[in-house]
Amino acid sequence: MPLNINWQQILLHLLNLVILIVGLYLLLYKPVKKFMKKREDAYKEREENTQAALDNAKAKEEEYSSRLAGVEEEVSKKREEAAKELEGVRSEKLRQVAKEADEMLDAARERARKEHDRIINGVSDDIKEIVEEAAEKVVLTSSVNDAYEQFLSAAESGAKSAHAGKAKTVTSMTKADKKGGARKKK
Amino acid sequence: MKTRTKKIIGWSVVALVVVGLIVGIILTDGLYTSTEDISEVMKDAVLHEENQVDIFGFKANPGLVSAYIVTLILLVAAALIRIFAIPKFKAVPGKFQLVAESIVGWFDRLAKTNSPHRNSFLGAYIFGAGCYIFAGTLFELVGAAAVSAAGNAVVLPAPLSDINGAIAMGFLSYLVILSGGIVSNGLRGVGRTLKDFSLPISMSFRLFGALLSGLLVSELVYYYIALSFVLPVIVGVLFTLLHALIQTYVLVMLTSLFYGEVSEPYGKVPKAKKKKARAAREKQ
Repeated sequence: MPLNINWQQILLHLLNLVILIVGLYLLLYKPVKKFMKKREDAYKEREENTQAALDNAKAKEEEYSSRLAGVEEEVSKKREEAAKELEGVRSEKLRQVAKEADEMLDAARERARKEHDRIINGVSDDIKEIVEEAAEKVVLTSSVNDAYEQFLSAAESGAKSAHAGKAKTVTSMTKADKKGGARKKK
Repeated sequence: MKTRTKKIIGWSVVALVVVGLIVGIILTDGLYTSTEDISEVMKDAVLHEENQVDIFGFKANPGLVSAYIVTLILLVAAALIRIFAIPKFKAVPGKFQLVAESIVGWFDRLAKTNSPHRNSFLGAYIFGAGCYIFAGTLFELVGAAAVSAAGNAVVLPAPLSDINGAIAMGFLSYLVILSGGIVSNGLRGVGRTLKDFSLPISMSFRLFGALLSGLLVSELVYYYIALSFVLPVIVGVLFTLLHALIQTYVLVMLTSLFYGEVSEPYGKVPKAKKKKARAAREKQ
């Protein structure tokens, strides 16, 4: 054969190549690739798990936010209801208080009226007494004044002739009488 | 002061060694007499007609021996990794685990990108083929020696610099592509694959040519002992490393591209869909 081509040697080379390729595949290529695939799968799985956890967290977040929005709505509703209830209670209380106040006011009025009447009744007796006393005083005062006037006029008329010592004694006696009379009346 | 003296002494020793080596090379140049002519050496590197290795009574090219050694090394390494390293793999990878995962991941992604419909078998194949081409090309650097049937010392070459090895690799890749076509589309897949009938030849000879060129340059360089210093670092190590990477990439890329093409499910795309797809592509 030209170029020393030898079919037997070619076949020997082929056998050698087949052995080598199969051997390398079994000993090196396949195990390394398997290891790489396993690692890749592990990372993929981890990534998927992470993604799933992330999605789950997002879903939960959305759920919670929606629930939170619902809760806020519910809270505002409850607040409104509470406000209404409070308003009702307050108005009821106010009514009661007003009623009580009215009753208290009426009682107080009644008491005041009774007191008033009592005072007025008491005072009217006093007034009567005072008026009587006053009237008596007026009467007495007018009689004293008259007596005093008479005395003064008598004194004036007698001054010219009578002594000044007699007049003094008479005057002091009159004053002492006046005081003693007033005390007795009281 | 002391450090300066040390530096001077060190550099002096290096210079003396270099001078001694050069003197040695010049003095021993006359002693080296090759039994073979350079043209014969290069011809044998291509054809392996003379320096064949005897394996259990069967004469084979040194490339075949290299191929089996490379396979053995790779399988032992893979077994060790499988037994000791892979069970200790962690979710957060260490340096070694990162390298292993990067290599496997790169081949897997390449298969998935170029053949989105069917790629699990393709990934395994291009991983094995890629490792073989890379390790086989680097095997050249080891410079392992074997005794030929004629009794000469033969440096084991890269397995794919043997035409038979390159043909085997090219045809196997073509068969893998064909299998993808058959599994996915049946006879239509076979038709699609056979359409590229030149593929195995191009794949084989591309590999063979690329690796053989490296081998020939190396042979040329090493034939003259005076060129065996410094220069091999560039032509040997760097070129071989580049070769290993480039040839690995080219073969696995071509295989996955063609595999993806023939394993694409057949179906008439409606005109409206076609238009939409075209518009989307134009937008991109």
